[in-house]
Amino acid sequence: MTSRRAAAASLPLLLCACQYQTYQSALGDAGVEDRQFLILFWIFFAICAAMYALVIAFLVAAIVRRRRAGNANVVESGRHHESHPLMRTGLVCWTVLVSTGLAALAIASFIADRSMAKAAAREQLSITVTANQWWWDVRYNSSDPSKTLRTANELHLPVGVPVRIQLRSNDVIHSFWVPSLAGKQDLIPGRDTDVTIVPKRTGIFRGQCAEFCGVQHAHMALVVNVVSYGDFVRWWEHQLQPAATPRMPLAQAGYNYVTQRECAMCHTIAGTPASGRVGPDLTHLASRRSLAAGTTPMGKGNLYGWVADPQSMKPGSKMPTVGLEPDELHAVVAYLETLK
Amino acid sequence: MSSRFRASCLAAAVLVAVLVACDREERRSRSKPIGENVPAGATPDTIYAGGGPGPALDPRAALYDNNAPAIADGQQLYMRMNCVGCHSHGGGGMGPALMDDEWRYGGRIDQVASTIAEGRPNGMPAWRGRLTDDQIWKLAAYVRTLSGQPSKDSVASRADAMSAGAPQTLTPREPAHTSDSAQQ
Amino acid sequence: MARVGRSWIAAWSAFLLCSSPAGAQPHAISAPRAAPPDNGNWEMPGKNYASTRFSAMRQVTPANVRKLGIAFTFSTGTNRGFEAPPLVVGGTMYLVTPFPNYLYALDLTKPGAPAKWTFKPKPAAAAQGVACCDVVNRGAVHSKGRIIFNTLDGQTIAVDAKSGRQVWRTRLGNIQKGETITMAPLVANGKVIVGNSGGEMGVRGWIAALDEGSGRLAWKAFHTGPDRDVLIGSRFKPFYAMDRGKDLGVKSWPPEAWKIGGATAWGWISYDPALGLIYYGTSNPGPWNPDQRPGDNKWSTGIFARDVNTGQAVWFYQSSPHDLFDHDDINESILADIPWRGGRRPVLLRPGRNGFFYVMDRRTGQVLSATPYGYINSAKGVDLRSGRLIPVKEKEPRQGRVTRNICPAAPGAKDWNPAAFSPVTGLVYIPHINLCMDMGAMEANYIAGTPYVGADVKMYAGPGGNRGVFTAWDPLRRRKVFEIKEDLPLWSPALATAGGVVFYGTMDGWFKAIDARSGKLLWRFKTGSGIIGQPISYRGPDGRQYIAVVAGVGGWAGAIVSGKLDPRDPTAALGFVNAVKDLPSKTTAGGMLYVFALPR
Repeated sequence: MTSRRAAAASLPLLLCACQYQTYQSALGDAGVEDRQFLILFWIFFAICAAMYALVIAFLVAAIVRRRRAGNANVVESGRHHESHPLMRTGLVCWTVLVSTGLAALAIASFIADRSMAKAAAREQLSITVTANQWWWDVRYNSSDPSKTLRTANELHLPVGVPVRIQLRSNDVIHSFWVPSLAGKQDLIPGRDTDVTIVPKRTGIFRGQCAEFCGVQHAHMALVVNVVSYGDFVRWWEHQLQPAATPRMPLAQAGYNYVTQRECAMCHTIAGTPASGRVGPDLTHLASRRSLAAGTTPMGKGNLYGWVADPQSMKPGSKMPTVGLEPDELHAVVAYLETLK
Repeated sequence: MSSRFRASCLAAAVLVAVLVACDREERRSRSKPIGENVPAGATPDTIYAGGGPGPALDPRAALYDNNAPAIADGQQLYMRMNCVGCHSHGGGGMGPALMDDEWRYGGRIDQVASTIAEGRPNGMPAWRGRLTDDQIWKLAAYVRTLSGQPSKDSVASRADAMSAGAPQTLTPREPAHTSDSAQQ
Repeated sequence: MARVGRSWIAAWSAFLLCSSPAGAQPHAISAPRAAPPDNGNWEMPGKNYASTRFSAMRQVTPANVRKLGIAFTFSTGTNRGFEAPPLVVGGTMYLVTPFPNYLYALDLTKPGAPAKWTFKPKPAAAAQGVACCDVVNRGAVHSKGRIIFNTLDGQTIAVDAKSGRQVWRTRLGNIQKGETITMAPLVANGKVIVGNSGGEMGVRGWIAALDEGSGRLAWKAFHTGPDRDVLIGSRFKPFYAMDRGKDLGVKSWPPEAWKIGGATAWGWISYDPALGLIYYGTSNPGPWNPDQRPGDNKWSTGIFARDVNTGQAVWFYQSSPHDLFDHDDINESILADIPWRGGRRPVLLRPGRNGFFYVMDRRTGQVLSATPYGYINSAKGVDLRSGRLIPVKEKEPRQGRVTRNICPAAPGAKDWNPAAFSPVTGLVYIPHINLCMDMGAMEANYIAGTPYVGADVKMYAGPGGNRGVFTAWDPLRRRKVFEIKEDLPLWSPALATAGGVVFYGTMDGWFKAIDARSGKLLWRFKTGSGIIGQPISYRGPDGRQYIAVVAGVGGWAGAIVSGKLDPRDPTAALGFVNAVKDLPSKTTAGGMLYVFALPR
């Protein structure tokens, strides 16, 4: 196992001379499921590479080797039915080799699949992710219903804790994929699927939708922040706090606009009258790392751009371009920035 | 051989030309200009004092009526903005039926858009300032499909609601009485 | 006819006990102080605080009821669902109509009962857009020379019974939030008790008491939220552990969901003067889609007992925790005393919406029995130890899916239309329905002033094919004594009389009289519109017994006629249209009062 690990560790370096990022990489090896996938990957890679090399070798040999003169009239001499003993041995060896290889692949695949499925039984944290076009609705479940948490486009996970993510879709088929942590799992409308993740190290990872789901499928990313258990609990407690009423007059004007006009038709901000469920929960919008499901990083300028004209950043998305007056825009962004 | 080759080249050229020219309809992600208003007071058919014609149909109506992406967006908005809560899937409930031929306030797309934007006295809420004009026009385009008004190639060919009824391509076209016959 | 005294009732009961074919088996009687001797009037919708809807008049009997004829009629001028009973007091009959909530006073002393005055409250027309189930009004109440009633747009109004002039008017509901008021108020101990409607609109439910003289707010209790808002304090002693805990109105909901959680009080209130408690139920939680509100969702779909003076909650029982099917618990609570171990036990008799007939101790909220009186496949029963309804997992609606064949359907085995109780026979006469449904749940979006439901529903007849059923139920032996199957759902209340005749109406307009013991149809009259209103019986100024009912189809069940809905959409009117697609061919809208009497 150690040698295989060493091989697994060294192969990427051999294959790819340049550095590669681990935050969104199937070779990132940050989750237990991803580790199982990685082992399988390298087994497949090794066996297939070996077979490939052999086939290439035989092909090259066939091209390079000359035809011997005596074999020119094999057909007329009537000896083409006879089999060459070397050929027979070679064929038998080849069949055995291929069968062994395929069997090894099948067994490895089966073992990996079963061990990934077994992980699902040990969940300690339950999250429901509902995919919409084109954003992720995340709900952290709790046995105490008043502690359930709703957020969007970002997952915070405690390191080392098995997390079972129940996957649903509100419209079309999407696919949940955080390559560094686990494999893909489809979210199918009308069905419940699930994936279990056990993150192994802290860090920030990126996931994205892996099933074409419409015109903005490319802008449907997910940020996963794996932190220590203490940090995770603190984060959860903070996220349960409703949004504070703003004190600055500009932000107050923004609060009035957001809760009384178009925004409240679709968005929820806990602690305010806005309780729309069509779009992401905005209660702690400013604490997130990205905007519009990974379309742009969070920041003042991007907030301005997004609120003023979302259709220019993500054309076809469900958030309409509201013709905001300049002072309304300033007020709304000032308020949104207070939603930490 | 060369004539067959030429013939197949010609066929390929024609195919490419046809595909390139195929432009079903323009899908706009936002209206131009941004922030315009839905027409106010598009009245039901009434008497226009002094004779002469009533106001002409708003030119923006043509952008949304019979427009498939607008109707599809309107269908989603119809569910999400709770139109379905009062009007069900056209049968009505708290609000009147939208799939029949009776229109208290007019069944033309600009009249429906005006109803949505302004609200109406017997309980239809006003959505001006809560939905963008683009969304209101799209909703009006969808509402008209409930009674089969738009052409059948612009409506969905599959019923998407939970109750999975007949698709809208089979909805019979009701005559749209823009008079007040339903008002009692 | 001599005044009916309490001793008369006791003697009559004793006589029947000895002479009934069932032998000397005792049966339930009305709670004595809550059901005083009948004075021939009808002063509150339930007839008395015990909500018996029983008239002690004996002139109309099974022998002569077929001679009933029209004494007079009156057209109310409205054509929406008419659910209110006429009130009769002091030789005057009072009628409150559905929106626009006109109040008429008819002079019974003159021939033809002409109108004395009309009071027009002029409620906001926009209220019609936030009323879930037709723009009905369930009645007015008479107290101390005033008629007190609610308007659709959330006002409570007191009108002088003689002159028709307004005495006071208080606004309690806000239509911008989707609140309306459709219920009949109750006046008890100087307080006017009013509750809001809007469980389908994401409102926050409440019940309030106004001072009878001035109309000023005395107390108001919400049905979700922290204990101090729900008026839960030191007096609160729920019988079952599932209803005990601090701030359950917050803890049993996801964060903030209780603020738009429904649990309104749009149904019937009963009052026990001996205990000083009012009894009423709360509506469904919002939205209908249960996936959006994990938790028990206190204090929805349950029964409260509150102190009438302070509003402090004394006990609560949740009949459907984490309600899945819109099984509001607002049905009537009939106050009765039942024989118990040699003595008498004060109970509530409740034909519940979820299909179970509850007999509960009204001092503590303990459920003595919960027996199905209709077909139920969505619950296995009620665990009497924990008090909890036992759901059937396969029938739970899930977001994104359609769950089929859920019985009883959303209006339950019986909706708002109240049963009548006869202390003479000891039976509860229940007009109810037999419907099942398919329900598809999806995410509900909350926008104030618009519906907050998240469900597509389609209803249809239950097993047997009959959509309505009239059951005479024995609450002690816990079984039905007789049952009458009806084609259309029964959406009208019942009236029981001491003469041994029970009255109810059907949705296609037949006003029927049946024998109180056998259920045999004795007489029927075809009125001009379906009947969903409370029939009453009163003693006219000439001493004769009159039976009155207003025919005007509508309500949730009749919305297809009163709202002119389209039967091609099975989900219209929250699924009811599919169950009564034939109703427009069997009746039309109307609003006509019919008063019957025996010939002189």
